[in-house]
Amino acid sequence: MALFDLALVALLLMLALRVVVEPDERSAIITFLAFGLLLGLAWVRLAAPDVALTEIAIGGGVTGILLLRAEAALRGRGKQAEPATRTGKLAVAAGSAAISAGLGFAVLTFSTPAPTLAPAAAQALPATGLGNPVTAVLLAFRALDTLLEKVVVLLALIGVWSLAPDALWGGAPDLKPAAVPGPLAYLGRVLPPFGVVIGVYMFWVGADAPGGTFQAGTVLAAMWLLVMMAGLHPPPDTTRWLLRLVLAGGPILFLAIAFLGFAFADGFLAYPKALAKPLILAIEAALTLSVAAALAMLVAGPARKAPAR
Amino acid sequence: MADFLTTAALFILAVTAIALLRVLRSRITAERMMAVQLLGTGGAAVLLLLGAASGSAAASDVALLLTLFAAFSCVAFVLGSAGQDADRTSSGEQP
Repeated sequence: MALFDLALVALLLMLALRVVVEPDERSAIITFLAFGLLLGLAWVRLAAPDVALTEIAIGGGVTGILLLRAEAALRGRGKQAEPATRTGKLAVAAGSAAISAGLGFAVLTFSTPAPTLAPAAAQALPATGLGNPVTAVLLAFRALDTLLEKVVVLLALIGVWSLAPDALWGGAPDLKPAAVPGPLAYLGRVLPPFGVVIGVYMFWVGADAPGGTFQAGTVLAAMWLLVMMAGLHPPPDTTRWLLRLVLAGGPILFLAIAFLGFAFADGFLAYPKALAKPLILAIEAALTLSVAAALAMLVAGPARKAPAR
Repeated sequence: MADFLTTAALFILAVTAIALLRVLRSRITAERMMAVQLLGTGGAAVLLLLGAASGSAAASDVALLLTLFAAFSCVAFVLGSAGQDADRTSSGEQP
């Protein structure tokens, strides 16, 4: 097993090095995609399948689209003006190496029986009715963090939307390329049915096994992006009330249940014991849709078409 | 049995790694994209073998997602190329 881990680490380091030294941006992005997918394997070996799922969905899917779109938008614009000199690059390399070395040193000097709350969390697990300790931490023990995290995603989306020019405010983003190649249109029809099933499965299995809202939301977002990019269904106007309802629905339901905790349980964000699991599942379902819509609209970018009146 | 499965996983990882580095050296970008597809297949095989060796069912879920997103990354790549064509014909999709 040690041999396997060494091989995996060597391959990861090699890919990481290639990402940095690759002169062509597009090749670097592709290598970065491969790196993200392979990093999922490393997380599985570290017995963290929840992180592995997130890493593959974000690092291999959504980030790839974001980077490739950014590269396509910037291509051929002021590439000659290379701002970084050799000394500048060396300084950046030295700084990054120092951070890596510092992090490595910090990890190696952890106290050996690491201070952990894991036994306490595992002990309280039956009270939530969940089987997956990660979901229990995210939605019961540390629910406040999760709530704020989802609100931050919405704030980021508002930030992206505000980049739209005044005349286009409230319009739809434009994702479809000028000409959709045949294979993309075909993939746009074939892949989403599988992806949606996998996304719903990720959400459902998240209560008892690795998976959960964020992974499921990312899968659904990727499938929606695929449909929009293949031109099968146009992106919605950003003023559409249905879109905004889905976006805000997850955090609103979360907050409503959190405040109801004052009346029916011990306080803010506390669940009545008998209803803990159904409530958590309801929050997760609404959050999954919110995350999916928010991530897809974040990648789609600000409005580029005037709103339909 | 677990030892055999782990050895098989190591073998597939090694073969995938060699093929990956060879494909990534190609000058054609579309061929490099095939490296990601290769990782989708090889990585899923490694994950399934590891999952069987350690008896964790979650590894097969990860393999499922890996396959899905390897296919999806192809779309991201095609879109990047399409953006390039659009730049040449019109003033581009992003004004």
